[in-house]
Amino acid sequence: MSKTKDRLWFALFTVPTLFIFTIVVIVPFIYGIVYAFFQWDGIAANPKVFVGIENFIKLWSDERFLHSAWITIKFTIMAVISVNLLGLTFALLCTSALKMAKLSRTMIFMPNLIGGLILGYIWQFIFSDAFAILGELTGFDNIFFNWLLSPDYAIYAIVFVFTWQMAGYMMIVYIAGIQNIPEELMEAAKIDGANYWQRLRHITLPLLMPAFTICLFLTLSFAFKVYDVNLSLTGGGPVRSTEMFAMHIYNEIFRYNNYGYGQAKAIIFFIIIAAISLTQVYMTKKREVEM
Amino acid sequence: MFRKKRWFIFTVFAALILLLAACGGNQTDEAAGGSEGETSEESSGQKITIFQSKVEISEQLEALAKEYTEETGVEVEVWGTTGDDYFQQLQIHLNSDSGPSIFTLDGPYQAQQLQSYLADLGDAEFVPNIAPNMELTLDGKLVGLPYGVEGFGIVYNKDLVSPEDVKDYDSFVATLQRLKDEGINPFGLSQEAYFLIGHISNYPFSVQVDNVEFIKQLEAGEVTMADTPEFQEFGKFMEAIREYAVNPLDVTYDEEVGDFATGKSAMIHQGNWAWGLLADYEAEMDFEVGMMPFPLAGNDKLAVGVGAFWAVNGTKNQAEIDAAIDFLNWLVSSETGQRYIVEEFKFVPAMTNIAADNLDPLSQDVLEASNSGNTIPWSHAYYPPNLVVNEFTPIAQEFFLNEDMTGEELIQKLDEAYQNAVQ
Amino acid sequence: MKIGKMIKETLLFLLGILYLSPIYIMIVNSFKTRSELYENVLALPDQFTLEYYREAFAKMNFFNAFTNSLYITIISVIFIVIFASMTAWMLARTDNLLSRVIFMVFISTMLIPFQTIMMPLMQEMNWIMKTTGIPMLNTHGGLIFMNIGFHASMAVFLYHGFIKAIPRSLEEAATIDGATKWGVFWRIIFPMLKPTTVTVMILDVISIWNDYLLPSLTLKAKELRTIPLSTFYFFGEFTIQWNQAMAGLVMTIIPVVIFYMFSQKYIIKGIAEGAVK
Repeated sequence: MSKTKDRLWFALFTVPTLFIFTIVVIVPFIYGIVYAFFQWDGIAANPKVFVGIENFIKLWSDERFLHSAWITIKFTIMAVISVNLLGLTFALLCTSALKMAKLSRTMIFMPNLIGGLILGYIWQFIFSDAFAILGELTGFDNIFFNWLLSPDYAIYAIVFVFTWQMAGYMMIVYIAGIQNIPEELMEAAKIDGANYWQRLRHITLPLLMPAFTICLFLTLSFAFKVYDVNLSLTGGGPVRSTEMFAMHIYNEIFRYNNYGYGQAKAIIFFIIIAAISLTQVYMTKKREVEM
Repeated sequence: MFRKKRWFIFTVFAALILLLAACGGNQTDEAAGGSEGETSEESSGQKITIFQSKVEISEQLEALAKEYTEETGVEVEVWGTTGDDYFQQLQIHLNSDSGPSIFTLDGPYQAQQLQSYLADLGDAEFVPNIAPNMELTLDGKLVGLPYGVEGFGIVYNKDLVSPEDVKDYDSFVATLQRLKDEGINPFGLSQEAYFLIGHISNYPFSVQVDNVEFIKQLEAGEVTMADTPEFQEFGKFMEAIREYAVNPLDVTYDEEVGDFATGKSAMIHQGNWAWGLLADYEAEMDFEVGMMPFPLAGNDKLAVGVGAFWAVNGTKNQAEIDAAIDFLNWLVSSETGQRYIVEEFKFVPAMTNIAADNLDPLSQDVLEASNSGNTIPWSHAYYPPNLVVNEFTPIAQEFFLNEDMTGEELIQKLDEAYQNAVQ
Repeated sequence: MKIGKMIKETLLFLLGILYLSPIYIMIVNSFKTRSELYENVLALPDQFTLEYYREAFAKMNFFNAFTNSLYITIISVIFIVIFASMTAWMLARTDNLLSRVIFMVFISTMLIPFQTIMMPLMQEMNWIMKTTGIPMLNTHGGLIFMNIGFHASMAVFLYHGFIKAIPRSLEEAATIDGATKWGVFWRIIFPMLKPTTVTVMILDVISIWNDYLLPSLTLKAKELRTIPLSTFYFFGEFTIQWNQAMAGLVMTIIPVVIFYMFSQKYIIKGIAEGAVK
């Protein structure tokens, strides 16, 4: 009796979301998996030829794909570290007793309000114009030059802009986490004579584990999927040095007109990424303290 | 306690009802608008939809559509677009059976890809008025009505350069040298794919006796770029540009035109469309502007072609197809339509029945070249799809970043990329 | 100690300013002509004219677009918050295989780039429209539906994370008092999740408000366009009408800035209330 009732409650709470989610995300995704077994140019009226797992075999010797996968991973690692380091620091600063805390919280969050491609265009101005001026003024023209023109540095330019944008976003999540920590705990620790660093290490950080799980995973997923900044800042260049994964797939599907092959790449990459990030979620979740 | 609970239930239901109301409300809109063609026959007024790629004319086109509706009662809906992902969006709309009645094609390859969606325009009234060789055909069927004629070449500052200075490779290099010594950037390209390599790569193809035939032979492996003298010379030209000019990768289209307008560059490789930007500087420009041929292999003709065509969706019902053709016909034959093409869209007309006057200097040069037949064709329309963006651009970027790469190597890489794309 | 604090204050403020530099570029260039912008992107404009704002306002049909954006954003976010918080709580408090699998499916789909599923999505929506008559495309309702689907996973993920911080003992006490799960959730849990709710709202409001790709695929009629869709006039194939684009952008983000400032106050308030209890 109570078991059926529990099940009913479970259904009531989960089915609405699951229903919409399945229609919008799951079905198209499965649809996409089916396409991966076909050779097709992406025009509905044109023939789809069943090729079995050929697309999945071909991609392992596709240098452009492997290169793209590699730089995406490189980018993601750098981005996850820099975004979370900065995001957490900002969150700690912005929840401190400083007068500027509230104001700077808004200022740091502002970049997120500019969406999409225009953000990259604005940064192009900074890299091409502002960096040139900075280079002249400071004499460090080996640091301040147009990063976007160098196949070696362009990727760092994307990390830079991505961090600038996402750190504020993650800061919000960290702030929510910090504010979920019961005030009494902090007060008690203060009374016990713990200094700022001790409280940070023994109370704040352990209790922030849920926020860590979330932020690490969100940064991972945003970094893997990065597209707008990539497109508007470098367009994948120079010399294909920054063609990251989402752009690579998009190009394969819509520019090279290999719909099935593009889907096959997407699925392989998805499996790899999902394995990595689910492990991450599983591991950090384990370390969360439940109250 | 119970009140609170009820309140929450109430909120949830209120929200649900709102959503349903929203859906329902829009449903009636949909039925009334009849955008899908099925409902359109029963409604008194026919409706057509247009999805086209030139953002620059969208506002004017919306105004034109309104005038058309007032005149004929046929409703015209113009969809919004962005320049760079136009074709992908079109593809998605067509694939989900919700495509527009009129759309844009950029050339023979897109026509081939979308062949099942193209209506035959051969019987339309406007056909006899299309300027010779300006229509888009597929397997002998007329499928595209040209937007207008466009041309590119060297846009130059008449105070600094004269066409006499740029006749062949030697005089071109001498002029670059002279201008550079004067402290002026002699020649401008810019970082966008077509302005970096796409347009300029036309010349070695277009100066061939029959460029389409040459491309066929190239694809069949009967000739190579590396063994063709015009390509070898093109490599030398590119080396000269890299040596004397500002690195184009550091220059955007806006900056390229701005440098030219302010006298910092003497020549830029552009088309008549660049006037759209130059016009913003007109007050400050104290020199005359002209367009001259790029002198590869002694070429003395501008490259003139059509960059976009109107096409009609043949998968719609006959009434809608007819209405779409009627609209295109009205566009190029009615007084209002013709006025919009020349004055509002600022196209150089590709129709013999449209008179063009008051053109800007660049378009004037293109029109004169076109009328006198003194032109070379556009070849990039015959490249494999997206070759310029996918393959040529990364190679050109490498060429401009790596001073050690020779023109010969550039041609070799372009050759390889072309072969890869054909396979 | 005091000097140290002063330095910290100044540094924090400087950091904020530095962070805003791209926004400076956005604002100054919304007043410049093309030739001024070409001369110097970073300089202050020669004159502060609202001309480009007026032009952008008219071209974008701003009021209409604003109403559309507002409607779509508000309704989508309300549903996301309601559905996702309920689902997340159930998933977090039910420890069985099914609930773990559902959770994993939710979060792993967050790794799918939208570009890879947009084509099948549109085909499916069209199919639904043809077979059931529910107008999924070219309607606000359809877009809201898809927004809920696409943003649900992140919201579930956020709620799921923070629900852990709420002591189970609270729920158990209420259950013993005879409250149903529905009652427990809305009376006890949901109010305690206020900081998370505000976070979810901020993040979703911004991404839905700014979203371009999904609306561009689903909304075609001019009168349905959202604010980002209405800015397409400024983005040509090779060049941008910078002044109007920047002016349009400034007008786009002002409502979100106001919303953010307002909700920020709310976070603080929510915390204070929580502390009193």
